[in-house]
Amino acid sequence: MMAQEWTLHVAPGAPNDPVFIGVGEIPTGKFPDRGFIQGLTKVALLALKDAGMAPRDIDTILLIPNLHGAADQADLVFSRMVEELGIHGSCKSSYMVHSGGSTSDNAVRAAHGLIATGHAQNVLVLQCERWGSADLSEMITMLSKNGIPGEWELPTGIQFNAIGAMITRRYMHASGSTPEEMASVCVTLRNWANRNENAMFYTKPLTVEQILASRMVADPLHSYECPPMADGACAFVMTNTANAKKRGITNAVRVAGSGGCVSHYCLSQEADQAVLGWPLAAERAWNQSGWGPGDADIAEIYDSYAAVTTIALEGIGIAAKGEGARWFAQGNGDPGGKLPINTNGGLLSAGHTGVGGGTALLVEGIRQLLHRAPAMRQVEGCQRAIIGGSGGSYMDAQILLLERTKLGA
Amino acid sequence: MKTPAIVTEFRDGLASGKLLIQHCNDCGKPNMWPRYACPHCQSENLGWVQSAGAGTLHSFCVLRQGAPEGHEEDLPYAIGVVKLDEGVQLAVRLLPSGPEDWSGYACDDRVEFVPVSAEQIEKRPCARFKRTGG
Repeated sequence: MMAQEWTLHVAPGAPNDPVFIGVGEIPTGKFPDRGFIQGLTKVALLALKDAGMAPRDIDTILLIPNLHGAADQADLVFSRMVEELGIHGSCKSSYMVHSGGSTSDNAVRAAHGLIATGHAQNVLVLQCERWGSADLSEMITMLSKNGIPGEWELPTGIQFNAIGAMITRRYMHASGSTPEEMASVCVTLRNWANRNENAMFYTKPLTVEQILASRMVADPLHSYECPPMADGACAFVMTNTANAKKRGITNAVRVAGSGGCVSHYCLSQEADQAVLGWPLAAERAWNQSGWGPGDADIAEIYDSYAAVTTIALEGIGIAAKGEGARWFAQGNGDPGGKLPINTNGGLLSAGHTGVGGGTALLVEGIRQLLHRAPAMRQVEGCQRAIIGGSGGSYMDAQILLLERTKLGA
Repeated sequence: MKTPAIVTEFRDGLASGKLLIQHCNDCGKPNMWPRYACPHCQSENLGWVQSAGAGTLHSFCVLRQGAPEGHEEDLPYAIGVVKLDEGVQLAVRLLPSGPEDWSGYACDDRVEFVPVSAEQIEKRPCARFKRTGG
């Protein structure tokens, strides 16, 4: 399918052009004593401070769902955070956006539309997950049901690692990638995590040898190639360009365009597990932004398994078809490499916080573009970022193209 | 909640040793998984045809730990995605070639449907496949 003309109806730098102005994050890992609402409150205040705002400035809250428990998710849906932040009575709207791992991309689209049209002025997007502290067997059962058709596929005993393993095997078959090359993706991510104090594996290096020596969980995936479930929370603030200028903000981040493709619901119905929806999503994103794959300074791409990222990189055109894993093995995505990938360490090394893994990658992209990442991992002069997300059983490929923008007087 | 007819009829097929594919009586196209309306022409006039049971293995994995609740006793087991020659796809269990041995399987292998007992279908209502000639 060819991408049709798909224009973004907001001009760069126009008063209604939506911009990101602040981010907040707390460490990812196992924090059983850190409460759910506590985490949300913390990242909300951090993001507001970063944006130079107070809670009262926020008129719209968008919630990224947690997956660790239905009661906590209901608290999000029913506006608990409005009260926790003390903006009940003034807040206009609070609601959840949900498409699994691609939620953050869709939350940006929602916020972008609300702001550009004037339905919202200042939007706070919040995420918190407690996967690291939740009961493991409950999580496995939950992850065997979410995104898997109970009547057709659950009887096979399929679950999340099995899905990742099938995609990995198909990718290795199609590309001729070796186990060493697949493992090198995880090593690149760890090299970045070793530069991120908030990452679960900040202090732990990782080698290809260690990965291949770890136990087989779901052939061809070794345990060190499976994402570590973690607690984590992050947030970001968006406003319109006119508001940002009024507040004296001189540099912000705007959305240059986006593209997406929902290619299946059940993994078994995907036409090609080594391709997924990325080529069409990329075509649509280039069409909307005028960018090409060579125009970005960094990419923050969903990485619950190595193949999920290599397939995305190939579909986006960052790596040649079939060369994604070898592209990593050559060090291209590493610190100092050709195109830094997942500069926070990604889901595989910063920690998999459920729906929050994609949000953390998005927040890292915004942080890099605002030039607010710690010096040990800030990509110098970073101007443009490709953000990629995927939800469910890799049901969709979502691309956001973000760029740093100077706000005139 | 009552199990929908498209589910029970598909499972009844498996229990009697047949792999059924939903067939649209209006446009004639096969649908898998079975739908409530034909995704090609939106007709609700839907029936079944028996699959020849032959296809290619798109991908597969061997799960060794972390089985979903109720599947623990089956570990290790293999799950595959099969593209049937009729042009539809489905997720299946892959039978081992020897005790806990799936080492002979590869992507794009020719595979075939293996009927199993009604008791086995009752317990795990999904299709079983093996390598053709294997």
